[in-house]
Amino acid sequence: MTSPANSADANAGPDRSDVALPTAAATVFESARQTLLMLRYRRVLWYLPIALAVFGALTFVLAGLVHGRISGHDLFCIIAWWGLGTVVVPWITLFLGVQTVHGEIEDRTSQYLFLRPVRRVPLLLGKWIAITLAASAMAWCATAVLFVAIQARADLWPDGRQPHLFWSFGLVLTFGAMAYAAVSVFFGATFRRPLAWAAFFVVGLQMLTANLPVSAGLRQVTITDHLRRMVLDLIEPDRGLAHALWPAERDESLVELSDGAFRFESGSPLVSLLIFTFICLALAAYRYACTEYESRARD
Amino acid sequence: MSSGGPLLHFDGVSKWYGSVAALLDVSFEVRTEVVGLVGKNGVGKSTLMKLAVGLLAPSQGRVQVCGFDSGTREARARVGFCPDFDRLYEPLSGVTFVAWMLRYHGYTATEAERRGEEVLTELGLAENMRRPIREYSKGMRQRVRLGQALAHRPQFVLLDEPMTGLDPVARAELSQHIRELPSQGVGVLVSSHVLHELEAVVDRVVLVHQGRLLASGKIAELRDQLPERPHRLRVKAARCRELAAQLTAWPEVEGVSFQAEALEVSVSGHRGFYERFTNLAAEWHGGIQELTPLDDDLAAVFGYLVE
Repeated sequence: MTSPANSADANAGPDRSDVALPTAAATVFESARQTLLMLRYRRVLWYLPIALAVFGALTFVLAGLVHGRISGHDLFCIIAWWGLGTVVVPWITLFLGVQTVHGEIEDRTSQYLFLRPVRRVPLLLGKWIAITLAASAMAWCATAVLFVAIQARADLWPDGRQPHLFWSFGLVLTFGAMAYAAVSVFFGATFRRPLAWAAFFVVGLQMLTANLPVSAGLRQVTITDHLRRMVLDLIEPDRGLAHALWPAERDESLVELSDGAFRFESGSPLVSLLIFTFICLALAAYRYACTEYESRARD
Repeated sequence: MSSGGPLLHFDGVSKWYGSVAALLDVSFEVRTEVVGLVGKNGVGKSTLMKLAVGLLAPSQGRVQVCGFDSGTREARARVGFCPDFDRLYEPLSGVTFVAWMLRYHGYTATEAERRGEEVLTELGLAENMRRPIREYSKGMRQRVRLGQALAHRPQFVLLDEPMTGLDPVARAELSQHIRELPSQGVGVLVSSHVLHELEAVVDRVVLVHQGRLLASGKIAELRDQLPERPHRLRVKAARCRELAAQLTAWPEVEGVSFQAEALEVSVSGHRGFYERFTNLAAEWHGGIQELTPLDDDLAAVFGYLVE
């Protein structure tokens, strides 16, 4: 070998004094790009096409079994909400986010990034964007498979096929991926066992607390509640479907609470979800930027 | 940074982990030279290096790199660090890994790829740089870690156990490279537990023990500062018994013992001894075949200091 520093000729690359350090935006972009490329190697994602195929086949079979008892519209909404909205998207997003952020901290490869002349917050934002994009893409794919599988049963759609359902759930699940990704980077940057916290978050907060009646008063701290109100606002369900999607709520509250979910005003589900996401990201950024991940206190 | 100023400056630095002190009031400087960081496992060597590159913040005192406080973007742009842990982005190729790191130094994608190829070629990884890192041997992985530390042409480099995993030939080559870095304006702080290898590379050493700076300087100077420790010399000559009798009478000689056709001589005030011995050797009938210091190497000095 020859000496790296010695043999570097002037044309081989910019001299260190000539190189401008990357801006925050460039760092966010590069971090997102690298994170997305690294996600390619996650083995869990290799099984995604198989999982989607199985999901589509099972849905198709189920649609045949329930023929005459439920419409395609309602079947799609129930599976999309209870299957994708409350189980698949939260778990996949949290898993990917935790593995991406915490995995690098745990195996110490994050130190290679922390040595670079860039701030940590843009690095983390890039990872959050990448996780959001990856989880959203999966959510759209799963929604499309579900929609196609039920659409294939033409007799379940007496009022004709309704593609707006696909767009509605795709949009809501994208918002969900964004919020869950923020939670995952916060857990990943903060806790030593983030997957345990993620399990508590999904089961304890999203599955239980979010399904309490309004009077319980805890739903504002969940993601599920905001997403559900968005869904109800977009699909405008009849009373039966609304109860199927929100079993704990009283009749009089269903319409009132589900109206204007996308208004940009205080207390609306959209604004509440954005605030929730922002708080999670701010906490994650603080932890990521200020923590000495090598400290014995953490170990 | 002013010309000729310290590239690394520790000023009264302490680092605490809760109630455990990892470093206590450490002060030293490194200029454009190769300095060895010596200490047993767990005495704070890695903590000291991480303070220098900004991965840790000092609990007390100040650390500056190239004139900038450690951990600032300006300092990180000028420092390279080869850590001692064997973790890398396993699915990536060596050149992709180095190029990805260079992107955060402001290199364009093309420049980063080209510089990554160049530095890994120079480190002897040309044939394997496009294979996934997970297929690399330990020595190849070490070269990738070195590559990411040197690729952005830092002004100061910290190498934590850089010889680990390298074969003897690669160790010799790396030693040579490290020796050459100061001539290119690059300062180096290198730690190794293989003291004889470190001794061949460094201009001087910093000895750390139990979180404190035990000593700093050239190895010979440090040895001279231990007057209570007589130098041990091995002398091989004709007429050993006669020579032993003569040496015993010298005031600098504290003791002589016979060791398999040679003498082991304990000497205090060794400079005076060497003067007299030179004269004696010139006149000694049959000749003096060997005069070898037994305990003025880094390992011996370090051992004496920590006892």
